[in-house]
Amino acid sequence: MLVQFYNVSKKYDNGVIALNDVSLKIDRGEFLFLMGQSGAGKSTLVKLLFREELPTRGQIFVASRSIVRMRRSDIPKLRRNIGVIFQDFKLLETKTVKENIAFAMQVVGASKRDMQARIPEIIKMVGLHGREDSFPAQLSGGEQQRVGIARALANRPLVLIADEPTGNLDLETAQEIMELLYDINRLGTTVIMATHARELVKAANKRVITLDKGKVVSDTPSGECLL
Amino acid sequence: MKPANAIYFIREAAQSLSRNRVLSLATITTVAVSILILGIALLMTVNTGNIMNRLESDVQVIAFLDKNLTSGEISAVRHSIEKIDGVKSVKFVSRDEALKKLQESYSKDYDLKATIGKNPLPNTFDVKAKDPHQVAIIAAKINRINGVYKVNYGQGVVERLFQVTRWVRIVSIGFIVLLAAGAVFLIATTIRLAIFARRKEIYLMKLIGATDWFVRWPFFIEGMFMGISGSLIAVLLLALGYNSLVSRIGTVFFMPLVSDPHLLSQLYLSLIGIGALLGMIGTYISINRFLKV
Repeated sequence: MLVQFYNVSKKYDNGVIALNDVSLKIDRGEFLFLMGQSGAGKSTLVKLLFREELPTRGQIFVASRSIVRMRRSDIPKLRRNIGVIFQDFKLLETKTVKENIAFAMQVVGASKRDMQARIPEIIKMVGLHGREDSFPAQLSGGEQQRVGIARALANRPLVLIADEPTGNLDLETAQEIMELLYDINRLGTTVIMATHARELVKAANKRVITLDKGKVVSDTPSGECLL
Repeated sequence: MKPANAIYFIREAAQSLSRNRVLSLATITTVAVSILILGIALLMTVNTGNIMNRLESDVQVIAFLDKNLTSGEISAVRHSIEKIDGVKSVKFVSRDEALKKLQESYSKDYDLKATIGKNPLPNTFDVKAKDPHQVAIIAAKINRINGVYKVNYGQGVVERLFQVTRWVRIVSIGFIVLLAAGAVFLIATTIRLAIFARRKEIYLMKLIGATDWFVRWPFFIEGMFMGISGSLIAVLLLALGYNSLVSRIGTVFFMPLVSDPHLLSQLYLSLIGIGALLGMIGTYISINRFLKV
């Protein structure tokens, strides 16, 4: 079991209850959608996973370790096992494609030799061959998201978390990104994707957890969702 | 810190400095101005302290001796005074010397001795204390020695002087603390702007799994660099200005300006150290808020 949530609730300081008694389990190698309207609690659940937020109540385990009781100094270790991609890509505009990926490896202290071997490999995998020296502003939205994915995968994480990764992309580009995510999943990385794009979810035919007002309202194995 | 990381940190710091050139220059100028003011205040304090020390060390006890003491009795009195705790020096001034000194304060045409006939002045001991604040106690002890008929240490005036010097010291220390706090605040603000411009990068670094120190180091190097450069400029200006002041006027209120090269170089070095420290404190205050991811 890779991820376990036990009766997790999250109430923000401003009084908003984002999650209400959520329990769920995610296996190694799964591909999972988190569905729900905006404000349903998807982003909060994602933020709890890489411990950007702490739950108000309940327990969360990632790879059998409680991340609620985790010391602050152990958080970097947890995050090195989790790759994250975002709706707005969050690329560094002043760095090239290659440098954006290198950045992820530098900050965890990778050696130069590791980086020289890994970066061409990952660029090829996400299909950005030939664009290594472009800056984000010179790339299309789909290409920028590919850089985001390359950066998230650079340190070989166990889990890839995608928070609305296709939200800023047209349908065709979104489907290309989905294909890339399936490939990554096939190579063994667990993928958790928060989205409200129903067409993509239906077409994927994978496990779907639906959230509404902070509660899990359905957990189905093959592309069905309540909303 | 791994050596490979150190190179990365320094490169990152240099890149950030040149990328935010205007902001970096603004910070360096801020530090330079703050350290310059701080340096001027310090030099003023050192000089005031020097004046105060000189004023205080002029304080002494004069012990007037009975008129008909033999030389043996006089040296006995001297021994007794020297045995008192806290006495630094004892100087014998004979009545003839005293009269000569008094004569010197009149014009040459006026013969004091001819006017008064016999020398009316007594023999005295001029006694200096190790700590000028102890004169009153020492004076009282000397007064009890046989053969001493009166002591004088400027009763009343001395107490006033000590009160003034104490306040001057307190006020100058308060002034310096206030200036240092102001400098830290200014540096913290400028560095906060530099960090704010890169908050996305910091957020990403933290999400990818960078440790707090990995994120902090480049900013610390940046802050330290700005602190040191700013204080170097300030020290340069200060040293040039103060040296020309010393060579041009040399004294204030008839007291020489402090020009001990050892003391001055120590003061300048500590100003540079303070600049580096202010840069680091400023960075520390600013960055922690952005690390809570």
